[in-house]
Amino acid sequence: MIRRTFHPLPVAALCDLAVVAMLALLCGAGVSGQTHQRAQTHAVANSDASAAPVKSLGNKNAPITMEVFSDYQCPSCGNFYENTLKHMIQESVAAGQVYFVHRDFPLPMHPYSYMAARWSNAAAKIGKFEVVDGALFDNQAAWSADGNIERFVAAAVGPADFKRIKKLMEGCDVNPNAGVKPAAFNNSGQADHGCLLDTYIEQDKQIANQIPVSQTPTSIITYKGQRYPAMPGFVTWPILKQFFDSLLKQ
Amino acid sequence: MTSEGRANFRRIFLLIGRLALGAMFLFAAYAKLKPQAAMPWSVGSVRTSLSMFAMQVDSYQLLPPGAVSLAAHSLPFIELALGLWLLTGLWLRSSTLITSLLLACFFSLMVRTYSLGLEINCGCFGPGEQLGKKSLLRDGSLLAFSLAVTICAFLARKKRGESATSVSVASEPQRAN
Repeated sequence: MIRRTFHPLPVAALCDLAVVAMLALLCGAGVSGQTHQRAQTHAVANSDASAAPVKSLGNKNAPITMEVFSDYQCPSCGNFYENTLKHMIQESVAAGQVYFVHRDFPLPMHPYSYMAARWSNAAAKIGKFEVVDGALFDNQAAWSADGNIERFVAAAVGPADFKRIKKLMEGCDVNPNAGVKPAAFNNSGQADHGCLLDTYIEQDKQIANQIPVSQTPTSIITYKGQRYPAMPGFVTWPILKQFFDSLLKQ
Repeated sequence: MTSEGRANFRRIFLLIGRLALGAMFLFAAYAKLKPQAAMPWSVGSVRTSLSMFAMQVDSYQLLPPGAVSLAAHSLPFIELALGLWLLTGLWLRSSTLITSLLLACFFSLMVRTYSLGLEINCGCFGPGEQLGKKSLLRDGSLLAFSLAVTICAFLARKKRGESATSVSVASEPQRAN
């Protein structure tokens, strides 16, 4: 009887090697996957921070452009959004007739309007302007009472998007319209305390000063490059639509 | 001042008053009808100006959209007609009375809006003029001036009526003779 020599050691060693190699591969892949994921998150955060906020709706080449200088805490602006702008977005903006541009003009008399504008700008940076803009106006009375804007933004966007918005809101916890202003906040309202989003709000305010705009809401309508005089105050949707129709018929 | 001097003053004031009010109403109508944003005069551009004026009327938040549209599309033409009527000097008591009533209506609307704290355009002489103390003072002064012209128109008529009666009374004995 031929007794076959069995060599368990080299086989075991080979198996061990194979297992080690597989583990090493798996671990390597896992580590590189984690690194990749981390790098991707970092890249998203970086691109969010560098992206300009898009606070407009519709086709940029639409014949009519309507810019609205608005304050999120102003009741008249809320009324204008609910009763006029919502209809305009659903009808004229969707039909490609109107290009809607939101401009921030937070008034100093409203304690949470500047913070709301920051949330809106942060959302606009990740392409969530429309939902957050709507949520802020829809719940204006609620957050105006306690200043808790965050919960309505969180409810309007998904958890992942909210995380991105929160990241962009870093350094924006000091409320410039609150009773006590930080020393770094100068008289012109220009913030220099680290909230990068304020740059966009101040840019809108500069545009408002050039027109000039002094109250909210103020609408500026441009038709085929010709700007019509600024229209302060609330206008109902049927009357605004009538104006749009008269422009489009020309 | 003699009664003849007073009558002359009243006549001159009435003439200046109706011409000034007439010109003002013509200008107000022109400012509302003129094409905006460098558009040429055409039916379409006038329609757009009227629609723009409708937005100003609407911002007063007093009338429903249908009434706003009707008021905005008729008011500039009413102002135009009233301006021409005042310039002709025909039926002066009626024209000045209607002018005063219209101005009183405008002024009370402005006071109401201002007291409500609505920051809107006045819409008095076309777009772009904010409703504020300045526009209230101007329209208040115009109303006072218009009332003075209306009173003058009624007094002048009364005076003419009295002198006509005295002439007819004086001519009675002659006829009897």
